[in-house]
Amino acid sequence: MRIGPIDVEFLLAITPILLKGALMTIELTVLSIFFGTIIGLFVALMKISRFKLLAVIGGFYTWVIRGIPLLVQLFILYYGLAQYFDIQLSPKAAAVLGLSICGGAYIAEIIRAGIQSIDKGQMEAALSLGMSSTQAMRRVILPQAYRRLLPPMGNEFIALMKDTSLVSVITMVELMRSGILLNTTYFRSMEIYLTVGIIYLIMTTFFIYIICRLEKRLAISEGD
Amino acid sequence: MIVIEHINKHFGKLHVLKDVSLTVARGEVVVIIGPSGSGKSTLLRCLNYLETIDDGYITIEGQPIGKIKLPDGRLVDDSRKNVYRLRSRMGMVFQRFNLFPHQTVLQNVMEGPITVSKTPVTEAKDRSLALLAKVGLADKADAYPVQLSGGQQQRVAIARALAMQPRVMLFDEPTSALDPELVGEVLEVIKDLVREGMTMIVVTHEMGFAREVADRVIFMNDGRILEDASPQAIFTNPSHTRTREFLSKIL
Repeated sequence: MRIGPIDVEFLLAITPILLKGALMTIELTVLSIFFGTIIGLFVALMKISRFKLLAVIGGFYTWVIRGIPLLVQLFILYYGLAQYFDIQLSPKAAAVLGLSICGGAYIAEIIRAGIQSIDKGQMEAALSLGMSSTQAMRRVILPQAYRRLLPPMGNEFIALMKDTSLVSVITMVELMRSGILLNTTYFRSMEIYLTVGIIYLIMTTFFIYIICRLEKRLAISEGD
Repeated sequence: MIVIEHINKHFGKLHVLKDVSLTVARGEVVVIIGPSGSGKSTLLRCLNYLETIDDGYITIEGQPIGKIKLPDGRLVDDSRKNVYRLRSRMGMVFQRFNLFPHQTVLQNVMEGPITVSKTPVTEAKDRSLALLAKVGLADKADAYPVQLSGGQQQRVAIARALAMQPRVMLFDEPTSALDPELVGEVLEVIKDLVREGMTMIVVTHEMGFAREVADRVIFMNDGRILEDASPQAIFTNPSHTRTREFLSKIL
């Protein structure tokens, strides 16, 4: 069956294969958001630490990672490590590692900016009650920063989801690579990559929807 | 109770506290007045070590804050833990309230006892509700700070500071950010504390209040204490021309 130039039967045939790839894309996204956020929180706290050395290390991390293309970082992790240290990461390990390290650097900047956007008086009020700076951070600063972080974090999560397509070059079979593989068999670039694009669009739209819901719920629970 | 000996403080090249010494006895109410930029607020903030001092020595009930004097007279930084402990014994009220906006009024007041003193929740809650009743805001326990007027917010901030059962209260221009008609309700709460015999240091521009409640009035100018006298003496017969100039402008 055809609708205009579109071969519907072909689309139906490739969709299950692409969806299987999409599942891996989601898994990669969730894992790298999880690890990236942990890395980001630590690096952000390092960057605002009163210990100069930690601040310098944190700054160095974000400078290097944000200054080198993710594609290059993935090649170094996957091919470079194997050549020099005889460490052959699996494609999945290299993918999650690369995406987390890279996402972590951007998330660190978002968290740092969020923490620093909280009025200084908040920290002083917490300290004046006798809190340690760790307690003040945990009880007073982070809960407030958290809310301001959601919109930029949402953007970062969506960017991270799209960036997972880059790991196709280190032989990780996710949505993009599933498309590439199909195309080497069928040579029908338009149908295949259009479908791949639409699946990405559906996933990012769903993601945006979840983040919007979260923002609304947070706004209600905080009484303003 | 509080002894400040020869403290100095710089902000970069600016010398904001110049060899300031001051002693406050238990139960005393000391009001600090002076033009803006004279170092009043900085002095208060040095007391609970929100600002570090360059040299000099401060003790609260005989315990040094921030710096410890070694037997040979050298000063070394105290452990952070000691600083935290001493801060918890001093209540601080800020010009801009600084309530925690993500917590309800009750949670704000309970925060110190629960997080710092590890008070059981039920006990902290009872005590906090009693304090809110005392500042006349029992009915606002479940409201968020944004829903309150400035005067109400400042009263909550006072209750929050009192929840730590402080030995001394520090007020940093508690009414300066308020609309004129809201100043009275906050001063009333502070006066209640005066009647209860709370030791306190108040930085303020409310001269009527100073005259009424202060045991001593300190006049600060350009980082120094120029005058330290009874309100009677300062307001009727100041000994420095600078004090006279300041008072004539503000009264």
